[in-house]
Amino acid sequence: MKGHDVVRPVTLIDSPVANVANIARVLRAAGASLEVTSDPLAVLRSKKVVLPGVGSFVAAMEWLRATRIDDALREIALRRTPLLGICVGHQLLFDSSDEMTTTAGLGLIRGRVSRLATSLPVPQIGWNRVRFNGAALFDGIEPDTPFYFVNSFVAADVPDEIARADYGRAFTAAVQKNNVYGVQFHPEKSSGPGLRVLRNFVWM
Amino acid sequence: MDVIPSLDLLDGAVVRLRRGDFADRTVYGEPAAVLDMLDVPRGSRIHIVDLAGSRDGKPVALDVVRRLSSRGLRVQAGGGVRTEADVALWLDAGAERVVVGTVAAENPELLRRFPSDRIIPALDILDGGIRVAGWTQSASRSLTEVLRLVESTGATEILVTDISRDGVLGGPSFALYRQLAALTPLRIIASGGVTTRGDIVSLARLGNVSGCVVGRALLDRRISLDEARARAASPRAIPPRIIPCLDVRDGRVVKGVNFEGIRDAGDPVECAIRYEEEGADEIAVLDISATDRGHATALETVRGIAESIYIPLTVGGGVRTIDDFRALLRAGADRVAINTAAVRRPELIAECANEFGVQAVVVSCDARGRTVMIRGGKDPAGLDAVEWCRRAEELGAGEILLTSVDRDGTHFGFDIELLRAVTGAVRINVIASGGAGEPAHFAEAIESGGATAALAASLFHDRKLTIGAVKQYLANERIPVR
Repeated sequence: MKGHDVVRPVTLIDSPVANVANIARVLRAAGASLEVTSDPLAVLRSKKVVLPGVGSFVAAMEWLRATRIDDALREIALRRTPLLGICVGHQLLFDSSDEMTTTAGLGLIRGRVSRLATSLPVPQIGWNRVRFNGAALFDGIEPDTPFYFVNSFVAADVPDEIARADYGRAFTAAVQKNNVYGVQFHPEKSSGPGLRVLRNFVWM
Repeated sequence: MDVIPSLDLLDGAVVRLRRGDFADRTVYGEPAAVLDMLDVPRGSRIHIVDLAGSRDGKPVALDVVRRLSSRGLRVQAGGGVRTEADVALWLDAGAERVVVGTVAAENPELLRRFPSDRIIPALDILDGGIRVAGWTQSASRSLTEVLRLVESTGATEILVTDISRDGVLGGPSFALYRQLAALTPLRIIASGGVTTRGDIVSLARLGNVSGCVVGRALLDRRISLDEARARAASPRAIPPRIIPCLDVRDGRVVKGVNFEGIRDAGDPVECAIRYEEEGADEIAVLDISATDRGHATALETVRGIAESIYIPLTVGGGVRTIDDFRALLRAGADRVAINTAAVRRPELIAECANEFGVQAVVVSCDARGRTVMIRGGKDPAGLDAVEWCRRAEELGAGEILLTSVDRDGTHFGFDIELLRAVTGAVRINVIASGGAGEPAHFAEAIESGGATAALAASLFHDRKLTIGAVKQYLANERIPVR
């Protein structure tokens, strides 16, 4: 082992509203040396942060507020520490969500999360093709590669979009603003291409 | 693909005849009112069948067409067109196009007398041959002869009705339209058999179908025009998933026929890894252990699989409580299927959806015929499968895993009738399960059954078929795959 040359320190937020074990395993496979934590001080000390989430935006946001991790995330975003939100973690980055009533999000990225407006089955479940611009998060990935999505809510038409997909209509598959990244799909469940996205984040 | 509302007209009203009997009719009302009820926007193509005209051999409902055309609808009218003068009458009444049936097959010369964009030749097909005169006789020319003649008139679109499917529950005749794609460059307006949203998607995927005529399904509000058109616009939105299932008992993969007669089929982790390599879109694990100890072992098995794959994992079997559900998620399952416990206490569905999100909740419905079965397919639950799936959706199920107990392990094919009944009744995704034996069965479950995923166990375990072979077959049939 060459120490820091072969692994990169990443902090994974240990949210109860997430499948943390799966993401942890794949982040390690991507070369991350992980600290899994729900301590806001540990978040503030981080070099890189991953914010996972599944299920309810409202429950996830309540937990972030209760633990004060919300403020810690805003603070590290100001310092340009790289942050990656996954699925509901991605949705939490935006201004608000209409999941139940309107709930404020972290407000790190402009836009609003709302229910998929489509006649297609909701939740969307499956491998949807993602179109991206030249963002570094998608380095080495073929255009139109399918990633695994399972979601009822999305952000759409947001200014910081770096990838989109279609489900009845176009929605935001990934965003980036400065060092804040979000992906609506599950990279940890998207086989090789998903692993590549995580590796790109871990090593950027 | 355009979705074209179809109205059968008789005595100035929209009707439906039972078995073509003019005395036995359902009346839906005055045409303009019916079109308003169906939310048909101006500029839409609509298809008019003049029943009295067909009976009497001359156009009758000219006034109706005149009125509808003046409302900004693009009418294609048919029924009773025998001569050039009949076509002229419809066109004079404002029809954008005239549907020409029997004559098109018997006297294609008539087609040449009008601009090709004002005529739609209509072919009624039975067992590969053309029928004429109200389906009672075979045409004098073969299907390919007629197609060549129609092509030579400059026509670009034909209306095709597969008579053998008329009134059958199996849905539109996808095989016929696919066969026509190989025979002719003509675009097809498909007629007959559309009853579900899935039918619209499957027709749109074929590529050579430029329109589909929908009557009863719209009138009976089984689908809305708006929704049908939205579905037709994005038929390839997401590829259907192919899901190998590991039936696990006491830590080993096993497989039984009709839920019984179990035999060993290998190590679950090795199987799961192989399936991911073969291109599986997701892995399912069904714990069929009979004991608490067996279930505890299954948790270990799930953990082992979750740690070894990079694709989604759905787990079911023996989930009785919200704690069981949580334990499986913690072990690495992405989604959990509940079955008997949900039937016994349906609120469990809502509780799990609230706690873990609808995306995590799969309701597994085992059915014998249309009767819901519980306890691993052993006992009837006294519920209708369609009603139960609809209820499960209301309570918060994110997906239905629908297994035909009769077909399970038989390799005879999925139960398409059951699938159509459920996929036509719910709006969430449905996984087809039970009976897969060859690649065509997967295509059928997706295309005719309306399933958005299909699952098989023994077929893949026994290496009778690889996931790659199934996907290749689907791709050849123009069904999108990952």
